[in-house]
Amino acid sequence: MALYILKRLLAIVPTLLGVAVLIFLLLRVVPGDVVEARYMGQGGQFQSQELMQIERAKLGLDKPLWQQFTAWMWGIVRLDFGLSMWTGSPITDEIKLRFALSLQLAIMASTIATCLAIPLGILAAIKQDSWVDYAVRVFSISGLAMPSFWLGILMILVMLIFFKWLPPMVFTPLWVNPWDNLAQLIWPALAVGYRYCAVGTRMMRSAMLEVLREDYIRTARAKGLWLKLIVSRHALKNAILPVLTVISLEFAFLLGGLVVTEQVFNLNGLGMLFVESISRRDYTLTQALVLLVATTFLIVNFVVDIAYAWIDPRIRYR
Amino acid sequence: MSKIRRLLALVAIAGLAIPVVAEAQQPRSGGELVFPVPSEPPSYDGHREETFGLIHPIAPFYNTLLRVDPTDPGGTKPAASLAESWTVSPDGKSYTFKLRTGVKFHDGSEMTSKDVKASYDKIIFPPAGVGSSRKGQYVDVEAVEAPDATTVRFRLKFASGSFLASLLSPYNFIYKADILAKDINWYEKNIMGTGPFTFVEHVKGSHVVGRKFAGYWDKGKPYLDGFRAIFMRDSAAQVAAVRSERAHIQFRGFTPKDRDNLKAALGDKITVQESPWDCILMVGFNHNKKPFDDKRVRRALTLALDRYEGSKALSQIAIVKTVAGVQVPGTPFATPPEELAKLAGYWPDIEKSRAEARRLLKEAGVPEGFSFVFTNRGTPMPYEPLAVWMIDSWRKIGLNVTQNVVESAGYYGVIRKGDQQMHMDFQCGYIVEPDLDIYKFLSVERNPANYGFYKDPVLDELYDKQSRSTNPEERKKIVRQFEKRLLDEEAHYLMTLQWHRIIPHSSKLHGWQVTPSHYLNNTLDTVWLSQ
Repeated sequence: MALYILKRLLAIVPTLLGVAVLIFLLLRVVPGDVVEARYMGQGGQFQSQELMQIERAKLGLDKPLWQQFTAWMWGIVRLDFGLSMWTGSPITDEIKLRFALSLQLAIMASTIATCLAIPLGILAAIKQDSWVDYAVRVFSISGLAMPSFWLGILMILVMLIFFKWLPPMVFTPLWVNPWDNLAQLIWPALAVGYRYCAVGTRMMRSAMLEVLREDYIRTARAKGLWLKLIVSRHALKNAILPVLTVISLEFAFLLGGLVVTEQVFNLNGLGMLFVESISRRDYTLTQALVLLVATTFLIVNFVVDIAYAWIDPRIRYR
Repeated sequence: MSKIRRLLALVAIAGLAIPVVAEAQQPRSGGELVFPVPSEPPSYDGHREETFGLIHPIAPFYNTLLRVDPTDPGGTKPAASLAESWTVSPDGKSYTFKLRTGVKFHDGSEMTSKDVKASYDKIIFPPAGVGSSRKGQYVDVEAVEAPDATTVRFRLKFASGSFLASLLSPYNFIYKADILAKDINWYEKNIMGTGPFTFVEHVKGSHVVGRKFAGYWDKGKPYLDGFRAIFMRDSAAQVAAVRSERAHIQFRGFTPKDRDNLKAALGDKITVQESPWDCILMVGFNHNKKPFDDKRVRRALTLALDRYEGSKALSQIAIVKTVAGVQVPGTPFATPPEELAKLAGYWPDIEKSRAEARRLLKEAGVPEGFSFVFTNRGTPMPYEPLAVWMIDSWRKIGLNVTQNVVESAGYYGVIRKGDQQMHMDFQCGYIVEPDLDIYKFLSVERNPANYGFYKDPVLDELYDKQSRSTNPEERKKIVRQFEKRLLDEEAHYLMTLQWHRIIPHSSKLHGWQVTPSHYLNNTLDTVWLSQ
């Protein structure tokens, strides 16, 4: 098991290096840079080339690409991600601020989704083709068909038109004011969690149906074991593996991928920061965010791999 | 008898009404103004930045030497701010400003001419390696002097018709000289001015909070206890914030549809202020690409547009409205509509105009169905509806146009390369002033942001002449000549429609006047809330 973990850990390093090289080059290929975005996008009358050169020199954009890349890599090795080219603030500060919100939202949405998806999926599989199954299927297919930002807009309109109320416009950390915090984040968590839950429910149902048809389950039933016991002890352990993958990947996605939902609810999260940093050509911040998201995916994958090996010992012997 | 009774009744009503009106107009102190800002400042240094995202949340912390009169809807009238009066020498080459006394910075120190000089030196003569966005606006300034603690003098190289207006820039915050002397970049990351509000906090990506400055020089002001600027990128979220009465106003502007929806939902609780907006989209013709090097083709393209009908239709769905030349309609140097109607593309008879366009194309040897690509910026409002309207208009004179939409941030990188045939260009001014508004159209060697890549010494000369003319009437004439040459005779650029600024705000908000510029009237010292 230790060797398995070590192998998986070592595989993370070259993957991250590949991501770093790729994002560094891709950003430089795209037209425009942060200085242009800052001074030319506003329609200002006196656009001075001298000013642009000064600003580029300040940011080190006048240096050869290899020097810029080496400086960035050397910073990463020292865990120094540098300064945002747009704001001049340390990147760690820019990210730290949004990370708390995105992480909390991801945890809340994942909790909602997991708590609903697993029991609903199991229930639908056990009661296959009954009204319960149909109801769960309608619920989950609706969730898949409805984009979460659209559901978010509907929620806002309903709250605004019928209850003359809107969630707070500014994020308050949970430990400062739990009520304000939940009043703001519960709605996006529900909107996102619903779609996430729909994916999980469908996956849980099909995996459970497959497992319930296995010979060992039939044997257990023939022995007269309680259905509850068969499901919880024998079926669930095998059916949960694909669901675990889906849930974990969705969790990683939620950390940086909720751009539109964050816009709709005016959340100051990582998704918005990502989009803004790309549209401003803030190379250093975009690079750091891509690395953060890539690292999150790799860690989540790593944890899932370990969980797989723990749940199903056959995997670690391969 | 009944007439006397009616008269008495009217007098009684008037007597009752007058105190009510007087009470409603009496500024009330207190309250926190909440407003969404669609963009966030990259730094806090007004001398360096060019975005309203800086002005809206940061301007209330500062004063400028002069300001635009906050009650002037035209947004051009100079008013005192830190300078209480000024004089101009007879030769027009020296401007002397008398400063107010007793003006304090937020740290308690007194503001003097030394601070004004240091701030303007940073703007006009920045040291090597320090960026100043508006340095180019002060090429006429030879020196800034501070002969005594309450006097500042600007010595000019030549008399200028626009110098006073250039001091109205809302970006020209007065900083503290001692701080600048220690670290000239200090104001990029810190805030400390003489403005009506003191800085409380800026949570990146979230909000800026300001609190009333008790030591403000204009006694009794500001009326507000504070303000909260909330960064909101999504326009639907901004509208929802105003609609739910969580926010009082958004100072940049909403679309006609947003205005109508807000009015329908909130009725009298919403007051709408509108103004022509000192922003315009224009089409640049690449003079290095055939057939756009031929002025007959360029004239044909402007002649194809029915601006008057376009205005009626587009103003229903987009933030554009007025038919305009090179100046915002209704402002001192703008061409009156009847004179504008004589320029190519502004003729009231569109059939005659399009027949002339076809004739010109034929004469220039451009075949029927000629295809070209129009490069547009990937910003939906109002680039998209204007492009659709123009492409449709050009089809009506037998041209076949394909639109190439380029992602917003990389747009100028693409058009600067000069591979495009025609492109959408954009200009937005912080004050309405010919020097600023027509600089864009100078020859490419004088203005690298001229993406038509043309050289026109006549335009350059007219620009210099109007800029140095201190007689407004004479200046007006020269601006008209410039406009005629730019838009008609040479048709180097074509103007679309003037943007239209729509500000629906809470009826509780008073003391704020819409102007053609979304960079003006954001000091918030005159703003008050009635509840």
